Amino acid sequence: MFEFAFNSFYEAIYMNGHGIYVWSVLAIVCLSLFVFFTLYSSKIKQIKKKLNEPN
Amino acid sequence: MIKKFIHQFASPKTYLFQVNKFYNYIFFISVFIYISSIAWGLLFTPEDFVQGNSFRIIYLHVPASFISQSLYAAMAVSSIVYLVWRVKLAAYLVIAIAPIGAMTTFIALISGSIWGIPTWGTWWQWDARITSTLILFIMYLGLISFHNSFSNYEKADKLLSWLVIVGAVNIPIIKKSVDWWSTLHQSASITLTNKPSIDPSMLYPLIGSIIGFFGLILCLVLLSSKNQILIREKTKSWIKDYV
Repeated sequence: MFEFAFNSFYEAIYMNGHGIYVWSVLAIVCLSLFVFFTLYSSKIKQIKKKLNEPN
Repeated sequence: MIKKFIHQFASPKTYLFQVNKFYNYIFFISVFIYISSIAWGLLFTPEDFVQGNSFRIIYLHVPASFISQSLYAAMAVSSIVYLVWRVKLAAYLVIAIAPIGAMTTFIALISGSIWGIPTWGTWWQWDARITSTLILFIMYLGLISFHNSFSNYEKADKLLSWLVIVGAVNIPIIKKSVDWWSTLHQSASITLTNKPSIDPSMLYPLIGSIIGFFGLILCLVLLSSKNQILIREKTKSWIKDYV
């Protein structure tokens, strides 16, 4: 079950011509998650900073 | 009794302190599960006999698709809780979930379109599953814009909750679209009632990727709801102590 499905690193990237589809979807998912985590973390930091400012 | 329970445990203050307590655990466990399941699925599962290596997109597409619908269902439940028991936190959750729902639906649509190129020979088809998912994406965007167009939060929350409940009719349509209509999209490989039509060597990493992605999206919902609470409760005295 845990046997590497490809013969080489190049084959794993190329995936018989399907690599472009698989890796681009992975990139989109990772990028979307990264953007949302960064966005919300920075928003929370900003609000906290604003609330800490003396009136 | 239910009302007392909900009001006691769903106060924004209690929620915020509980989120801070558990957030890191959920985040790191989810990251570990997601990365290992994706690596397992993309590199260690055997090639599919019919689809070749393009089938590996399943480990990214299915979790996003499943969670995009689940998030809308969560919004509908929160809307009911808000309208029936007037729980403020439920109203905050509805608007906190919407952008994350839009993001997961976007991922489901884009990954499905990219998967369609090598599998169906087309990136788009106006079939029932794809069209109803596109409607879900438009609904998420519409609900966010609708809420943002109000200056009165209370009125916005109330109207938004009603709209979310009405829009929930689209969820069973998405789910059942592959059974009700003849579509390019395949039927569900995993159901609660039948044995999975997918080999265990491909199924286990899929379950792992769904759990891991669910955990990460839960973390995003926690962050987004924390953001909402800080904005909406900023005048309360306990917020000053919290920050």
